[in-house]
Amino acid sequence: MTNNIQTIILLTIFVPIVGSLTIPLAGLISKRARSFWSVLIALATTASSMLLIPFALRGGELAFRKTLALGLDFVVVADALSVFMAVASSFIGALIVVYSLGYIAHEENQNEYYFIVLLFIGAMMGLVFSANLVFMYLFWEIAAIACWRLIGFYRVRDHVLKADKAFLMTFFGAVAMLLGFILIYAQTGTFDLTAMRGTAIPGIAVLLILLGMFSKSATVPLHTWLPDAGVAPTTVTALLHAAVLVKIGVYAYARLFSYTFQLPEGWQQAIPILVVFSSLVSAAAAAVENDLKRILAYSTVSQIGYIFLGFAVMNPMGVSGSLLFILMHGLAKAGLFLCAGIIIHATHERDIRKLGGLIKTMPWTAGAFIFCAFSVIGIPPFGGFFSKFMVIVATVQSGRVWVAAAALFAAVLTMYYLFRIFSAVFMGEAAPASGHREGTRSMVFVVVTLAVLSLLAGLFVAYPTKLANIAAGEILRWIQ
Amino acid sequence: MNPQNLLIPILLPLLLALFSFLLPSGIKRLREIVSVLGAALFVYVAVSFFGGKETLFTLPWMGHGIDFELRLYQFSQFILLAVSGFTFLIVLYSTVRMAGNPRLREYYGYLFLTAAMSAGAVLANNFVPLVFFWEGLLITLYALITIGGKGSHRTAVKAFLIGGFCDFCMILGIAILWSQTGTLRLSDISVVPQGLTAVSFYLMMIGAVAKAGSMPFHTWIPDAAVDAPVAVMAFIPAALEKLLGIYMLSRICLDLFRLEVNSAPALVLMTLGALTIVLAVFMALIQKDLKKLLSFHAVSQVGYMMLGIGTAIPIGIAGGIFHMINHAMYKSGLFLAAGSVEQQAGTTELKKLGGLARSMPLTALGFIVCAAAISGIWPLNGFVSKEMVFHGSYETGFTIFTIAAWLGAILTFASFLKAGHSVFFGPRSLETAAVKESRSPIYIPILVLAALCVLFGVYNALPLKLFIQPILAGRAAAGEHLDFTAHALAVFNPIALISMGCLLIAFALHYFGFRRGGNKAYLASEPIHRLPVLRTIYDLAEARVFDLYEQGIKGLQAFSRLLFRFVDRPIDAFYEKFVVQIGRAATGALKAVHNGLYANYLAWAVGGLVIIVWAIGALTR
Repeated sequence: MTNNIQTIILLTIFVPIVGSLTIPLAGLISKRARSFWSVLIALATTASSMLLIPFALRGGELAFRKTLALGLDFVVVADALSVFMAVASSFIGALIVVYSLGYIAHEENQNEYYFIVLLFIGAMMGLVFSANLVFMYLFWEIAAIACWRLIGFYRVRDHVLKADKAFLMTFFGAVAMLLGFILIYAQTGTFDLTAMRGTAIPGIAVLLILLGMFSKSATVPLHTWLPDAGVAPTTVTALLHAAVLVKIGVYAYARLFSYTFQLPEGWQQAIPILVVFSSLVSAAAAAVENDLKRILAYSTVSQIGYIFLGFAVMNPMGVSGSLLFILMHGLAKAGLFLCAGIIIHATHERDIRKLGGLIKTMPWTAGAFIFCAFSVIGIPPFGGFFSKFMVIVATVQSGRVWVAAAALFAAVLTMYYLFRIFSAVFMGEAAPASGHREGTRSMVFVVVTLAVLSLLAGLFVAYPTKLANIAAGEILRWIQ
Repeated sequence: MNPQNLLIPILLPLLLALFSFLLPSGIKRLREIVSVLGAALFVYVAVSFFGGKETLFTLPWMGHGIDFELRLYQFSQFILLAVSGFTFLIVLYSTVRMAGNPRLREYYGYLFLTAAMSAGAVLANNFVPLVFFWEGLLITLYALITIGGKGSHRTAVKAFLIGGFCDFCMILGIAILWSQTGTLRLSDISVVPQGLTAVSFYLMMIGAVAKAGSMPFHTWIPDAAVDAPVAVMAFIPAALEKLLGIYMLSRICLDLFRLEVNSAPALVLMTLGALTIVLAVFMALIQKDLKKLLSFHAVSQVGYMMLGIGTAIPIGIAGGIFHMINHAMYKSGLFLAAGSVEQQAGTTELKKLGGLARSMPLTALGFIVCAAAISGIWPLNGFVSKEMVFHGSYETGFTIFTIAAWLGAILTFASFLKAGHSVFFGPRSLETAAVKESRSPIYIPILVLAALCVLFGVYNALPLKLFIQPILAGRAAAGEHLDFTAHALAVFNPIALISMGCLLIAFALHYFGFRRGGNKAYLASEPIHRLPVLRTIYDLAEARVFDLYEQGIKGLQAFSRLLFRFVDRPIDAFYEKFVVQIGRAATGALKAVHNGLYANYLAWAVGGLVIIVWAIGALTR
């Protein structure tokens, strides 16, 4: 049994990583074979991560190690938290790969595109199952490199600069984080997370590691690379926002700061305030911007604040709320970006003031957009409602009424800017360049799927919640 | 009763909604037939639930104390009955009134979804399912308003944003209450509002009264009166939202919190109620469009319910709740009558209408009865419930609230004299020469509602004993008599006499205005409209200066620009400018060192060697 689980975990990590290396080879055969092969690898990753769900639902926890030199053991840990993250990320990632078939079909360098996207997903899988700080860092930086290459995918000078910005900012954070890891190593003498549960760590290490997480998860004041990264192909943006990149930081937060270490009291009080401030600032920026993708990017920054908030208040409700939030936000935000992709694909216009009346020509996209928007705002019966509700309630339960009020105010702003987009893009007078048609079949299929999943995730919320509750119990076990 | 049956009032409308969504839009007859029959079945279910034993249905849901728990008891039975009744009447009405609408399939779908979620919200006995259904209503409201067609989207967004804001307030209130009491079950909570729980009370109160349409959260209603289909207006702001909002408010004031007479929260609620009565009725008075006039009354009347419940005195509370059901009946009837006029005459502008009573006798009869009821004319239901509110507010000792309520009564009657006079009496206008009576599915609901207004007035014992007393029983202090029927229609007491006097004043006002306006009924409110100070205030109100939504959006935008300009952009500038400059300066300095001169590099190499030797020496010592 245990062996089976080990094999499945290793498959989940290495199928996408090794598979990505075979993409250029498949590309030699034919375009069609390459695309087919990419989708297959992405689906296989999803399937294998899903095979772990029964194990996680039983409350199973498994850690195994491959001893390497210098104490750098490759430690793999599978518990409800890592399985939840792996399933959410790989599933949304696979949907985005399917969507790419239509979106990226006319671009050059497709071999590179699929190669890097799969490597990216693989790095995420490696990260969530690693329980060794050094290996976490390794996968962290693989993701950063993949992200850099994908943002600059179109090779325009300006885009490459934005990609550099993203890379430099996240790299700065990562190096700070590595310093933090070294500080911890100096204190404990190990990089193995399983051996460090409940260790109190110094405030300076918290600060350094937090810089890494905030830069990766684009939280104020290290967030501005994310809106700029919108120059990437929309599929990439969706991938960064919903499936892999920005979720790395929050996952690391859950794994390190909730699951493993004990933070100094001052940081425990400060972090909720910092992240809510981040939510507010970015929601405000989203309300001001006019570029469709920049608004959505700021929206992600704003929602990430909630995820951090739930983890930071450290009670079962908050932790399960945040985990659910990762799933719900992933589904809905991927849907929003991919809808934006359909719009941009058809109109070549990103300024919402120059768009309008698209509901007539793109009814499916419009429907999917509003569904996903409802979920991001947090309106029942969509999934986003439950996660946001739980995070807010947990914040109040931890005694932070004002923080919760500020978070709800950010939700009001969310409502405002998402309706602003919807009204400007889909309603009102038709845009001057009329005659737009719906996106290709695979594109529309994926956005509608995401929208329907956002709804189903709300109607059948009990199932993901079950896993999230188990994960929350495991994460907080050392506190009781 | 089998507890699982409690799911029927939610699942039945849900199935009907799905049926309508899935049925191809070309099939019209079948959709209408199934909708009417389904709605009738819904009524049957609600009737069969009525009077039954208290039933509890629990399903584990999300852990953390979040269960899917439904509870059927006297109060929810009563509201459920009302919800189903209105659903049926509106569906029946819609078969004719909405026929030909291109989005009929969605219309019935959202209508039944609204019914399903309302039933869920009424039955919920745990805050999470409550909020789930309660806030879900935002979506159907949004969708139903957009069915109104061109230009309605703006109003729909407005309704959604206002509702969303207030629901978020309620969520915060629930969260606070939860953290204070440690339970999510409504039936387990009973606290005195003070300190943090008082904050929770106010927040939840905002959620409840905003749903009911109280000021200052009402401003989408007059807009929707113009943009949304009239059946939607009769269904949601006139009936369902009042039922839900006031139901919730009663739960908050009676169960969740123990509201004391004249305590601060009670006074806040009464003040808000009194302001709503007076300000909204002033706006209603000067309206020139029948639907808009009605919509402002839909706001104003909420004030009576809030005032009644805010008294925290049995007769006041009973009056508030009774007023809720009465209002739902006559206001829905009035909107339906307005819709009937609109369909036949093509307009609801008072100026273009006139003398329709002869050609539309049944619509006119329904309208007049409902208008008399809302104005509080003896012996209709509005008289009974308003008297109870007057008595309750008078008993608190704050006569100012009673006076505000009387002022509201004067202007209500005056504005309905104006409306009824303009539409149904006086000379026929040229535009409406060939108008005929509407078809039976339109006038039957109107007449049913009008008949109920008479019934609930004359035989007020029926609703009071059947619906209202069981709700209060067990909550009022021992020994307090809960039989309000004995002198419900009594006229010879000071309060009732003053109320009657108010109606006379209203009549005089109307007559004066009618004469001054050159015998044109639609100008009857002009003397008040033109009063020196009032005129300025009216102008500002018409310019939406007092519209909290418009101002709030401006505030949001200003707040956003502030944060964007002074926090977000400077942070980005730090990376784009400062960091880049530093980097450039550093690389520039290093570049300058590499000047290509042999001697320079030699010096560096020697210097490096010296350092290494020194370091080795230091380490080996």
